[in-house]
Amino acid sequence: MRLLAKIIVTGRQIFYGGWMKPFLHCLAAVFIGLFCSLSVTGAGKNLTIAVIPKGTSHEFWKSIHAGAVKAKLELEEQGYKINLIWKGPLREDDRDQQIAVVENFVARRVDGIVLAPLDSRALVAPVETAQSVKIPVVIIDSGLKSDRYSSYIATDNYHGGQLGAEHLANMLNGNGKVILVRYQVGSASTEEREAGFMNVMTNKFPSIQIISQNQYAGPTRDSAYKAVQDLLNRYGKEVNGIFAPCEPVTIGIMMALRDMGKAGGIVKLVGFDAGTQSVEGLAKGDVQGLVVQNPMKMGYLGVKAIVDISQKKPVEKKVDTGVQVVTKENMDQPEKRDLLYPPLDKYLK
Amino acid sequence: MKTEHQPILDEQTRRVNLQQVINLLGPFLILAFVVMFFAIIMPGEVADTFFSAYNFKLILTQTVVVAIGSIGMTMIIVSGGIDLSVGSVVALTSVLGAVLIKSGSSMGMMILAVLATGGLIGLLNGVIISVFRMTPFIVTLGMLGIARGLTKRLADNQTVNLPDIALPSVGLLMADPDPNGYFVAPGIAVVIDLAIIMALVLNHSVFGRYIFAIGSNEATARLCGVRTRLVKLSVYTLSGVFFGLAGLMQFSRLRQGDPSTALGIELDIIAAVVIGGASLNGGTGSILGSMIGALTMAVLRSGSTQIDWPNYVQEIIIGTVIILAVGLDKWRQSRGRQ
Repeated sequence: MRLLAKIIVTGRQIFYGGWMKPFLHCLAAVFIGLFCSLSVTGAGKNLTIAVIPKGTSHEFWKSIHAGAVKAKLELEEQGYKINLIWKGPLREDDRDQQIAVVENFVARRVDGIVLAPLDSRALVAPVETAQSVKIPVVIIDSGLKSDRYSSYIATDNYHGGQLGAEHLANMLNGNGKVILVRYQVGSASTEEREAGFMNVMTNKFPSIQIISQNQYAGPTRDSAYKAVQDLLNRYGKEVNGIFAPCEPVTIGIMMALRDMGKAGGIVKLVGFDAGTQSVEGLAKGDVQGLVVQNPMKMGYLGVKAIVDISQKKPVEKKVDTGVQVVTKENMDQPEKRDLLYPPLDKYLK
Repeated sequence: MKTEHQPILDEQTRRVNLQQVINLLGPFLILAFVVMFFAIIMPGEVADTFFSAYNFKLILTQTVVVAIGSIGMTMIIVSGGIDLSVGSVVALTSVLGAVLIKSGSSMGMMILAVLATGGLIGLLNGVIISVFRMTPFIVTLGMLGIARGLTKRLADNQTVNLPDIALPSVGLLMADPDPNGYFVAPGIAVVIDLAIIMALVLNHSVFGRYIFAIGSNEATARLCGVRTRLVKLSVYTLSGVFFGLAGLMQFSRLRQGDPSTALGIELDIIAAVVIGGASLNGGTGSILGSMIGALTMAVLRSGSTQIDWPNYVQEIIIGTVIILAVGLDKWRQSRGRQ
């Protein structure tokens, strides 16, 4: 009882005590001052654009960054002044941190945001907040479960899986036994690639037998390596071709095939995405084909789309940046070289 | 006799009061320093939006999860303990909330279950620490793994997504109700209310003074008749409820159950409490200080993002501020002793 009385008395002192009042007045004055300054906005050809990837250390994101810088340089030749901000979540793959980054740029009132959402649902709320204060948001790489964005620029992953299946089946002359090593449960982009692969294999090439398609490789090269070792221990003698839906899985399969002495084309391997190791495998002949995306184009078109929106030009709601198959034979063609070895040094000093 | 002792007592009280005032102001000084630092180095157009009401609200919203966690952590650290399992408990309770809502439970039931689960894990920590006399650092390090593992099991190793109709009510706690005005998200009001209540409990209730007594010198406290085990058990359990509440806020912010969320958040929370003037040796610390500490971290983070420093600069700066804050505290203490 005495405690309760004390709490009430102390509480009253805090709220009604004289020292609180001037403090509150000051606070109010400061707020009003700041609020007025909010209404001042820059316009015209002077734009601040934030590009927010899922993380900052992987090669894929560096290519997107390079593409964004390329767009900035081109636009500056046309007389724009672009302030490009490249900012990933502080802890990579942390949704909460990415939400905070988007919110902070909304608070800073940037002229546009190019975002690769870590999660199709968790990022919906901050993107809708941005749109409600008239900051255009262009989504790249991965989808968002909302329609309140300005444009969606990404790879057609389903088509990528189809291309991979056709390439693998043609190398096997439409016959033989193949394995699909899946990536991870719940990863939308790779699931689409896997679905595209399965669709072509079952409908277009009925005499190819899929001997395994339900094993998941897990998120890292190491987990993929272990999973593929187990899988090849069982099917190694009969398998003719393997498809991997992303880079770590491609590397894991390549390493396991080398261990078994089945690399170099004895078992055909078609992988996805160009990284240092998978491209090296392609050059050595241990990988017979890579389905590659165009991350530079995503960053490039993302920044361009923001500028178009700011100039009130119409933009496409959905843009496909294209996928293609690269093999050892065609990897030296100039346009394929740019995909395999994106000119990062040219744009990211 | 009495008249002889009176002046000495008076002087002691005065010095203690002065010391308390300095301790109370310390965290504010650090926050003021950070704010001024940004005010000086920010280019004009960035400063305009950084020092806006909208951004002030935003920073408060981004502080909520860490702030609630640091209320619980302050009690634990004052009692001379530590809890490393906070991040995992936040993840576990937020995923539990998502699973319950997905299976059709009502909001009220979900909130009760989330708080109870947080409390239960705290109770478990408390029992092992106080009854079996094991080091809090090790016990809660173990619980960090256990709770994270349970979270992944509960979530089936993937994010738990909710039906669209449930999203608005789930997000209510952390959503800005009034983007152009001064009303704040309900979660912020919850933090402020709880901070006031817990500050009063810690400073003016018997329970609160017992926590300080145990943190200062556990053996003496026991000899003075404080039931140390019971108090420690209650501290960990009550803090667990706060960590559950932090999980609820995280769930409301993400509007999905993400088993990998809040990884390492315990370090942010401990940093906030330490910036707020607490000592890891126990016996000192204040809720108000910890709140300011949490706010300081959020201001640093928001400022570094908006000024578009690379992430590594941000990490180095936050690390430096933590060390400076503790150094400042040491310096204050050594001056106080002279």
